[in-house]
Amino acid sequence: MNNIEALKTKYFKILLAGLTLIIIGLFFVINLYNKPFKDVKNSKAEFVISAQELINDFQVDENLANKKYVDKLIQVKGEIVDISITKGNSSITLKDINGFSSIICHMLPEDNLNSLKLKKGDFVHVKGMCTGYLLDIIMVRCILINDNLNEK
Amino acid sequence: MKNRVIIMVLVFLISNQIFSQERYLTKEGYISFFSHTLVEDIKADNYQVLSVVDKKTGEIAIQLLMKSFMFKKALMQEHFNESYVESYKYPKATFKGYIMNFSELDSLNSTAEIKGILSMHGKEKEVSTICKVEIVEEQINLSGNFMVEVADFDIKIPIVVRNNIAKTIKVNFDLQHKPYKNN
Repeated sequence: MNNIEALKTKYFKILLAGLTLIIIGLFFVINLYNKPFKDVKNSKAEFVISAQELINDFQVDENLANKKYVDKLIQVKGEIVDISITKGNSSITLKDINGFSSIICHMLPEDNLNSLKLKKGDFVHVKGMCTGYLLDIIMVRCILINDNLNEK
Repeated sequence: MKNRVIIMVLVFLISNQIFSQERYLTKEGYISFFSHTLVEDIKADNYQVLSVVDKKTGEIAIQLLMKSFMFKKALMQEHFNESYVESYKYPKATFKGYIMNFSELDSLNSTAEIKGILSMHGKEKEVSTICKVEIVEEQINLSGNFMVEVADFDIKIPIVVRNNIAKTIKVNFDLQHKPYKNN
């Protein structure tokens, strides 16, 4: 009788251990599946650079600039040439002195309203992820940095 | 190759300034793709598509960065870029083609066939679709969708997630071109 009881407890323990493992495993899988995007607001930018410098770097050597900047969090300072809305998402375009290229920053929804309060000619700091270069440098998931607004 | 592309783009843009009436451009076009399976639906949006239309010939050239596709989940975006389309190796997708019989279109809401070559992940494939064309005085709007076979572009999906990703992906586009002006 005792033997059977002991065996039962043993199986129960194994079962419990197994279940715990499965739950922990599930927890990790779900956690990984729901892994958050990089927190643009609270992460430190890897590069703090002016719009002109960034554009120059891409125009001199696109491959090198891709390696340096793409997928990195960058804070850019520049003058606004355009603010637009596509399907409810705002974009801010920062200027190049030569006027040929620019930086198009696709804003995160949380800064949509703030972007619309800005106007052409304003100087802003924008922080976001660089995704590469077409005719312009493209940045996504951008937010506005509030300090130094309008500073020339 | 890269330099040649840059020179082509430059020549294209310079000629643009001479014939600025003919070229229409957008730098903030919208392209999304959608994968539907029983397991899950996956959607990604790209709001920064570059597209140029020649009003005279109906020629169209589209370029986008794979990394600009934004997903709902960070992990999906990571897998998409790192494992499936290998964005570090093939950062751009392009489409070059024609809007057929473009000069004959004049009504506000017409449809036209677009035919051309889609390049992605180092592979090329001819695609064609019927799309909605809206020609307003200062704007050329193109919108529509087409289907893409994942296998055509040599994109390998691991067995573990094979059921999560459709074999045929629906691509939506909405491109609103404005006359090209040098800012």
